[in-house]
Amino acid sequence: MDTVTYPESKVVRFIEENFIPLRIPSDSKPHSENFNVKWTPTLITLSPEAQEHHRTVGFLGPEELIPSLLLGLGKYHFENDRFDEALARLEQLVDGYAQSGSAPEAIFLCGVCRYKRSHDPKPLKDAYEKLSAVFPDSEWTKRAYPYRLL
Amino acid sequence: MAAKIQWRTEMDEALSLGQKAGKPILLDFFNPN
Repeated sequence: MDTVTYPESKVVRFIEENFIPLRIPSDSKPHSENFNVKWTPTLITLSPEAQEHHRTVGFLGPEELIPSLLLGLGKYHFENDRFDEALARLEQLVDGYAQSGSAPEAIFLCGVCRYKRSHDPKPLKDAYEKLSAVFPDSEWTKRAYPYRLL
Repeated sequence: MAAKIQWRTEMDEALSLGQKAGKPILLDFFNPN
């Protein structure tokens, strides 16, 4: 991460604009125990109240880190019932990083956010149809499978 | 000179800054060795 990902100017800009960046050695107690860290790098999106919203373990290149962080921002807002803010981040991910590893979960959550806003089930079905067309083998397509019947 | 990420190193400081700025924290547990 230090040699490939973090030096990228777009990564620096994205992190500084959207987060308070915090680095802690993986052997630093009690934090590593409190967060049950077993391998590095472990990246966690935390609320300012120290609530965990998203976690990845292992190396991410710049092309995967930014969408993963967008997913973390989306989940941070989603889990605080801020569906408009969550949708803005998730749509940014789906539109800008359509082939990233984070895209299928973002498509799933876009459907859920739209349903939460409107109580119209159609966005859930739309999410399944998009997932089955673009990511037929994704676990998120399987999780959305029941929505085909809506 | 290229910009660098301004990492904080103290949890309490980062949480306090996050509350003031209305931003979440990106917490990176790294291998110190």
